[in-house]
Amino acid sequence: MLLRGVDRAAFAVSFANRLRGAGVLAGLTEIDDLVRALGAHPPDSRRALYWTARISLVRRESDLAAFDRVFEAVFTDAAPLPLNRSAAAGPAGRRDDVHVPVPGGAGPAASGGGLPWATLPPAVAEAEPGDESGLFLPQVRPSAVEALAARPFEELDPRETALLGEVLRRELTNWPSRRTRRHAPARSGRRVALRATISRARRTAWEPVTIVRERPRRRPRRVVMLCDVSESMRAQATAYLHLMRAFATVTPAEVFAFATRLTRLTPALTRKSAAEAIEQATAAVSDRFGGTRIATNIAALLRSHHGNALRGALVVIASDGWDSDPAPELAAAMARLSRRAHAVLWLNPRAGAPGFTPAVAAMAAALPYCTTLRPAATFDDLFAAARAMQSLGNADFR
Amino acid sequence: MNDPQEVGRRLDAVDYLVDDGLAMAVFLALRLGKPLLLEGEPGVGKTAAAKALAQALDTPLIRLQCYEGLTAGEALYEWNYQRQLLAIRLAEARHERLGDDDLFTAEFLQERPILKAVRYAGPTPPVLLIDEIDRADDEFEALLFEFLGEAAVTVPELGTFTAVRPPVVVLTSNRSRDLHDALRRRCLYHWIEFPAAARAAEIVRRAVPGASAPLIASATEFIGRVRALDLDKAPGLAETIDWVSALSALGATELAPADALHTLGTIAKTPDDRLVVAGAVHEEIA
Repeated sequence: MLLRGVDRAAFAVSFANRLRGAGVLAGLTEIDDLVRALGAHPPDSRRALYWTARISLVRRESDLAAFDRVFEAVFTDAAPLPLNRSAAAGPAGRRDDVHVPVPGGAGPAASGGGLPWATLPPAVAEAEPGDESGLFLPQVRPSAVEALAARPFEELDPRETALLGEVLRRELTNWPSRRTRRHAPARSGRRVALRATISRARRTAWEPVTIVRERPRRRPRRVVMLCDVSESMRAQATAYLHLMRAFATVTPAEVFAFATRLTRLTPALTRKSAAEAIEQATAAVSDRFGGTRIATNIAALLRSHHGNALRGALVVIASDGWDSDPAPELAAAMARLSRRAHAVLWLNPRAGAPGFTPAVAAMAAALPYCTTLRPAATFDDLFAAARAMQSLGNADFR
Repeated sequence: MNDPQEVGRRLDAVDYLVDDGLAMAVFLALRLGKPLLLEGEPGVGKTAAAKALAQALDTPLIRLQCYEGLTAGEALYEWNYQRQLLAIRLAEARHERLGDDDLFTAEFLQERPILKAVRYAGPTPPVLLIDEIDRADDEFEALLFEFLGEAAVTVPELGTFTAVRPPVVVLTSNRSRDLHDALRRRCLYHWIEFPAAARAAEIVRRAVPGASAPLIASATEFIGRVRALDLDKAPGLAETIDWVSALSALGATELAPADALHTLGTIAKTPDDRLVVAGAVHEEIA
């Protein structure tokens, strides 16, 4: 018999504390379960103890590895684990987005240039190096945003990119929707809502005078975005991260980054603070600015358990189409992807250049399976792409 | 059942083999009276576990298959509106007065799986299988909380039904959607691993009693190797069982390439996988 004469509650609490230190979410309910489980079947071997603890404390598959590590550390003579939280938990979310430092109104001397009359301040505030410490309220003139949005990504500094990313996020309202199988009462509905009609008939001596109707409810269509973060996409990667964050916060989206392997960024990018989200997403991608394997990564996504998220979704692939995998493989992966998705939209940073033809082998192979190919070299392009997605998502071409 | 070993034995008696983990999970679910959430790859025996448990406990299995748009009307209860309307007309014809209590009574209540499990009157509580909970939308999860926490269902017009003997609840999920923490908190959790070759062979032997031993051994070993290949849908235990029954239906006693190729449709479920598995058959089965 293990743990003879041990206070079960104290044991369970301290073991769960260890687990929480390793990032496993073991709360009071789980601790209670463990105490009751130990009472129901006092473990007679280490193995029995392992299963009792695992089944009562762990609630998700992703926590199993951490649990195994902690269990090993506690019950074998291994070096103790550091009791710090995993990096994924991080500090409590900061909502500091409103304080994006943006150059305020330039000083009168700068704009007037010493002239005896007042001139209009410049529409685009010059990027002044130096005084970065002061926080200004983001009073951005619409014209300034427009001018910035027309500039290619590589000419924007991180601050401007962040600002435009926030504008993009606010722009994504009126998202495309799809019909669900749930019904909600609606005056213009076709189906009679029997339950509501009969309960309404109570008021009229059970004579159904008012017929309540219902119609299918609509909900936002899911977006799945795959973003290329390889070397050839270095200039665009940050801007695309902002687009991904916009999707992740507005719609039920799944976002992934890839170069040589696939990284799921959805948990990182749904954080409240933009700066924190981008920081975490950047840290999560380990193969940043490496080579590109588009076909392998699309196939990996289709095969993983996230592959079901693609069904009926709007799929956005952001890449320049430089692929080190053979083109037929990409064609096969794209064919499967397009069969599963509602629409596939390919964003190519080079597609806006004059005289662009999709001549790269991979791009030519993928094109027949894309619903549209759109340029994406500036934020204007991204706004246009977002508008295009809104109409694509509502369209029924199946 | 008094300990996990007994759970293992009782499930073994109905031809469902469990490892220590699943035996402990089932034992604790029964003893603590909590729902059991089973996850694992498709075809690893999640649904079969609930069926076997019902058989081992000798109680009925009540099954709720989840799908998008599943509502209280299909999962908990529904009023029989047609009968209510008829009752209204009947009362009218007889010049009677109908009250609230006359229309919303148990007589007009249609039980759906969850309410049926709560109101089950037999000597042992039934097993309720809530299959593929990830296919229902997240609103539906919230609807389950009262039932999972208190084994009770509230019908506003009638009151709260609480189970005299709480049903044994098994939920399964294929992880196509991340389940809410609140749901996970109310359940015990077990991740079913794909069994090792020897255990897989034993499971297949129980499922296909007529198959020859060498056939089962080589087929499960072959599946083990195929699972390591780059496949869209790796064959699970269910596929292995299908394959072995197909092969023994053809009269095979040993694994031969010709038979394997003819019955490939039972283990490879996409054209690409078919090619890969056919290649493996040529290479590995001499």
